Amino acid sequence: GKWKNKERVLIFSSRGINFRTRHLMQDLRTLMPHSKADTKMDRKDQLFVINEVCEMKNCNKCIFFEAKKKQDLYMWLSNTPQGPSAKFLVQNVHTLAELKMTGNCLRGSRPLLSFDPAFDKEPHYALLKELFIQIFSTPQYHPKSQPFVDHVFTFTITDERIWFRNYQIIEEDASLVEIGPRFVLNLIKIFQGSFGGPTLYENPHYQSPNMHRRMIRLSVAAKFREKQQVKEVQMIKKKESKVTVGEDPTEVVFETPAEEKPVEIQLVKPESKPIVKDKKKPRKIQRKKQKKLFRTE
Amino acid sequence: QEGLKCCLSEFQRQLAWVERLDVTLGQVADPVSQSASDKDAVDPENDFQREMSFYRQAQAAVLEALPKLRKLQVPTRRPDDYFAEMAKSDQQMQKIRKKLKSKQEAMEKSEKAKQLRAMRKYGKKVQTEILQRRQKEKKNMLNAVKKYQKGLSDKLDFLDEDQTLSQGNKKGNANQRIKKGPNAKRRYKNQKFGFGGKKKGSKWNTKESFNDVSSFQSKVAHNKGPRKAGKGGKKALNKRPGKRARQKMKSRAR
Repeated sequence: GKWKNKERVLIFSSRGINFRTRHLMQDLRTLMPHSKADTKMDRKDQLFVINEVCEMKNCNKCIFFEAKKKQDLYMWLSNTPQGPSAKFLVQNVHTLAELKMTGNCLRGSRPLLSFDPAFDKEPHYALLKELFIQIFSTPQYHPKSQPFVDHVFTFTITDERIWFRNYQIIEEDASLVEIGPRFVLNLIKIFQGSFGGPTLYENPHYQSPNMHRRMIRLSVAAKFREKQQVKEVQMIKKKESKVTVGEDPTEVVFETPAEEKPVEIQLVKPESKPIVKDKKKPRKIQRKKQKKLFRTE
Repeated sequence: QEGLKCCLSEFQRQLAWVERLDVTLGQVADPVSQSASDKDAVDPENDFQREMSFYRQAQAAVLEALPKLRKLQVPTRRPDDYFAEMAKSDQQMQKIRKKLKSKQEAMEKSEKAKQLRAMRKYGKKVQTEILQRRQKEKKNMLNAVKKYQKGLSDKLDFLDEDQTLSQGNKKGNANQRIKKGPNAKRRYKNQKFGFGGKKKGSKWNTKESFNDVSSFQSKVAHNKGPRKAGKGGKKALNKRPGKRARQKMKSRAR
């Protein structure tokens, strides 16, 4: 048949990404035959430059990976000429090359996309679903694609995040083995334009990684400060002058002083007491002198 | 919100399902899962539960989509003679297979080791039991022999283990008198402390043993018999003269 659905996705990244992100990018490129690669973009350029790059490459969709502080990875999904775009924070990345992913699929085979019913419940999720469908589904009769459908991408919403998995279909009875990369997307914002424009939606549950790290640091500091405060309070309490109770005149009423004994001065040494053997104490055993065993002559 | 919906309607493209291949579906009803209410509250921290929920969602999607695809005549099974490039290289798959195999082997080894250990313990137990049983039998046998020696029972029952007790009781009347031999107190003490005394009692210095000269061989005593094997040439060993002869020799030498 003829290839009608002309979707092309540009997949590239900024500088400063680490090996895991690079492998993830390469995995996505192998899984999606309708993708194109590009060189790393300089940090200095603004984001709307990406639109021009896409136009040059004749692509109408884009996946852009941005790495900050060598720790945080952000992903932009966008429909380049005018369409909406979304920014995500990517976590828990596992690549194709990990040995625990035992499945395999044809290179360029078309995926089946599976979505959580929660995607239909909220308008922003519905928009994201449409975006995912257009980006991730391989067009039919694409020259680089294989006509078989042998793997399935799942997008699930759990814990306010979107989880991505890729499974290989082994049998017709739906026994699956995991192939592909895994990642978790945490939605930050949805924009009306591509890489810019008014904000359509902002995720209230999103906390930037900096804030997250800051919270951890603060909590640790708070614990320490609390301990110190408690110590200080204790010290103050100790130093406080204690309340003295006034003298109670009725206390002395029942006191009777003891009788005074006459003072005796001893002139004669007292008699020595007789020594009484204390039979309870263990006796020292006197050793007999050892007899000489042999006589010297 | 309105903006979102407006944008979505602009952006959406009405493509035939076969282009998009998307399925929005809940999970497959799992016979093992606890209850329907638990499905909604999948604890994201519980890794296994979470992954199982993803798996089930994928399964549901596949089960729904495959019939549709078949109707549309989109192939889903790769024929065996169709060789094409795979997403993961053959080398990678080999590595994976090797790792799986090594894991399995390690598990089997540990299983075997555990079993061996258990068997050894069991074997040791059995062995000690057998030894104890043998010692008990020996003790009983010895007691029975001693009883016989002491004259309590003149039946040699203990030599045949197969004889039953009932037979012994029938012949019991004749031996009543002998069984009442020692005192009840004496019998109790014998039973408790055994028959004690010398173990074999084979070399008593009795009148009979003293008068028994059967082990006397005159030829050996006087050193006159033919020599047994091994003493060729050394005839002088037993030729030591007696005490008187030696004293005479001594006095003569002075």
